[in-house]
Amino acid sequence: MASKRRVAVTGLGLVTPAGNSADQAWNTLMAGRSCVAPITRFDASGFPVRIAAEVKGFNEAAPIAERKQLKFANRSHRFALAAAEEAMRDAGIRPSPETRRRWGCAVGTGMMGMEFADLLRLHRHSAAGGELDVRRLLEDEVALDPMVFCRSQTPAGVSLLLRHFGIGGYATSVHTACASGGQAVGTAMKLIRRGTADYVLAGGFDSMITPIGLAGFCLLSALSPDNETPQRASRPFDATRNGFVLGEGAGFLVLEEWSAARARGARIYAELAGDGNSLSSYRITDSHPSGDGPIQSMQQALADAGASPADVTYVNAHGTSTQMNDRSEAAALRAVFDAQAKGIAVSSTKSVMGHLIAAAGAVEAVICALAIRHSTLPVNANLSELDPECELNIVRGEPRGRRINIAISNSLGFGGSNSCLALRNPEEVDGRPGGRA
Amino acid sequence: MGQTQNVVITGTGALCAAGRNPAAIWDVVKAGVSALSDIRQWDTAGWPRRVAGEIPDFDAVSLLKDRKIQKFIRRSDVFGLYAAEQAIAESGLTAYRDTLEEAVATHFNDRTGVYVGSGGGSYQSQYDYFPLLSAAQGDLQTFGRELGDTVNPMWLLRTLPNNVLCHVGIRHGLKGSNACITNHSVSGMLAIIEAAQALRYEDAERVVAVGHDAPVEPQAVLYFHQLGLLAQDTIRSFDRNRDGSLFGEGAAALMLETPASASMRNAPVLGEVLGSGYASDGEGLLAISDDGAGLSDAMNMALEDAQLQASEVGVIVAHANGTRQSDASEAAAIARVFGAESPPVTGFKWVFGHLIAASGIIETVQALCGLRERRFPGIATLRELDPALAGLRVSAAAFTPRSDVALVISRGFGGTNAVVLIRAASGG
Repeated sequence: MASKRRVAVTGLGLVTPAGNSADQAWNTLMAGRSCVAPITRFDASGFPVRIAAEVKGFNEAAPIAERKQLKFANRSHRFALAAAEEAMRDAGIRPSPETRRRWGCAVGTGMMGMEFADLLRLHRHSAAGGELDVRRLLEDEVALDPMVFCRSQTPAGVSLLLRHFGIGGYATSVHTACASGGQAVGTAMKLIRRGTADYVLAGGFDSMITPIGLAGFCLLSALSPDNETPQRASRPFDATRNGFVLGEGAGFLVLEEWSAARARGARIYAELAGDGNSLSSYRITDSHPSGDGPIQSMQQALADAGASPADVTYVNAHGTSTQMNDRSEAAALRAVFDAQAKGIAVSSTKSVMGHLIAAAGAVEAVICALAIRHSTLPVNANLSELDPECELNIVRGEPRGRRINIAISNSLGFGGSNSCLALRNPEEVDGRPGGRA
Repeated sequence: MGQTQNVVITGTGALCAAGRNPAAIWDVVKAGVSALSDIRQWDTAGWPRRVAGEIPDFDAVSLLKDRKIQKFIRRSDVFGLYAAEQAIAESGLTAYRDTLEEAVATHFNDRTGVYVGSGGGSYQSQYDYFPLLSAAQGDLQTFGRELGDTVNPMWLLRTLPNNVLCHVGIRHGLKGSNACITNHSVSGMLAIIEAAQALRYEDAERVVAVGHDAPVEPQAVLYFHQLGLLAQDTIRSFDRNRDGSLFGEGAAALMLETPASASMRNAPVLGEVLGSGYASDGEGLLAISDDGAGLSDAMNMALEDAQLQASEVGVIVAHANGTRQSDASEAAAIARVFGAESPPVTGFKWVFGHLIAASGIIETVQALCGLRERRFPGIATLRELDPALAGLRVSAAAFTPRSDVALVISRGFGGTNAVVLIRAASGG
């Protein structure tokens, strides 16, 4: 284990409801200002839930300069291109013809599907009676438009990223529901550790603020119905919490082999030091009340990082603001940190930007890297009355200034996949600060 | 690649148009009979393409012997769970686990992972909203209001791409490291690659790797036809007159373990995963580089990973999807890596179609069947090798592999190239 290659985080990019760059999003997090508001992207007035955390002010027409590729891109792919471009620029390094095979790409991708406008057109032409008439499909312009196909395919996002940046190595696109982003970043870390790649563009992207996306979660009664008080709707660990709030966006990180990153004088935000990955194998939507599942992923991440619970300063919780998730996650945290649980600061940044689903884990890994860089713990907004069953040291009221040794980020998905990432302060690795302001 | 701990194969499972277990499918492959036939899931009268490899007499309940689970899963998931079940049963994994004391069994479960390559979803799942759209007559407010009365409340869960991962875990109590890979045609192969890496690097001691897909649906057939990727009626890989690929559906699974885990429980060792390689052309979703540079690099990486010389490879199981461009670039890549020393080449898609996310893993399972019998069929539909591919050692005739090692190729959208090297257990 001593010979493990270390992984440096050298570039960050975000497109989120809290801002369309890492800096902007960080400032919103520091202000602790919830970004949840009435849905504007479509007429949600008939839905039981009419609020979400939307990405605002994003230039969908030109997330990247190369406009020709954009016809292959849906909204979430455009978030991905913009956030990945920011991360690459931030890292100050890009694949070259000589290095492209040593660059990998690992992304958490949302669910496959047609855009709603295309589904509507298809319905109107070929299923007006309520069922598909396959003979009409033969002349349906949606079914004859290969671009609809390209945008709807699960590898569409990763393909765009590979092409845009000229990446030629290991490339994968994963989906484990709400754990997707975390699992993608964990996979990316292993690619470098194991020598498959020297650099990886890792991230997640999603946009489920659509009639079908919203419908799916409404049907499961998973969302907060607080339409009248959107700013308060996402309140992880609060006794009165009643569901999560849908968000959208993308988060990307550039990862590099540590010594090479130091050698080129890169700014290092953090060491991506550990990955834990487990299955709850309990029920499809329910989490085990004991925290079984997330307990193992957190323990693995710490062991993988060569860290003990006492080394952890900050936990970016999955903290969705559903009754079940937060209670189960709190139980898991208490089980893992035991006597130390009181000393370790916890917050869920979903309180500010909602739940970005397949992007959440990657976005929250970016937030952990920023927290280490700024020695500041983001606040868990909207916590007025702590649920006694979630007895934890939660960062409430204001962000806390504190030097972080290790930060961990939990992502727990429908279907029982649990991801935990451990990020370490660069000073703890080689005694040197992260470099470049 | 630092560590080279071997990974052993202790169970296999497969399901496709040609049969419901690896041996039954292999019999069809050897007989030189294609299992592709007219599509039965919908009336294809007047359709430009009407052939695929569907599972005959598909009955989800009888396949899984579980009625309740059907509410939560879709067609493709049924295939994946069925194949996983076979691999787990053949390996004797859960039977052994159930003899352990509780604490030991808990640790055993925590160290047993699940890696799945999934098709990622279907167009048909969105059709579940058609009745509601008709009722709402295009009015979103009505759509939102009547949602709960019309659509199955479990809709989102049924549609999740990671259902097989979830339910293999729940059915067998497995809780270790896991992934659900939705990367088009290479998904199943990546499940093998990542599972083998997890074992090599001690993330897990046992892993079920599964790939599953059900791509035979009307909208997908039309898109693939529009893109010029579908054959009229036969996959003629590497043939002068090849005219495309055809969809197949199904799944395959491998039980993989560290040698220590397998020997601890006296599990049957069928073979080994020796190494893997992967490279992306990265020229866009639909583009393939004509020279096959990504594929040849992936093959070289796999050989290096397995610490093997090209001359030690006994047979190449090609992607051989039957499209003009993919077959040509694949032949170019094989020539670049193996030159005049190429082992014989074969492929299996002409038998059961292109299983997309399950293609790489079902072809790996079938390659193991051939290695164990030391005999491979050729490509029965190949009549005349494309003169542009002269030198490619492929034919319709059966052959004996020149060693117990197979190199299996899987390629997909996005210009992805994945390669796995496997060996059959001696005496197998």
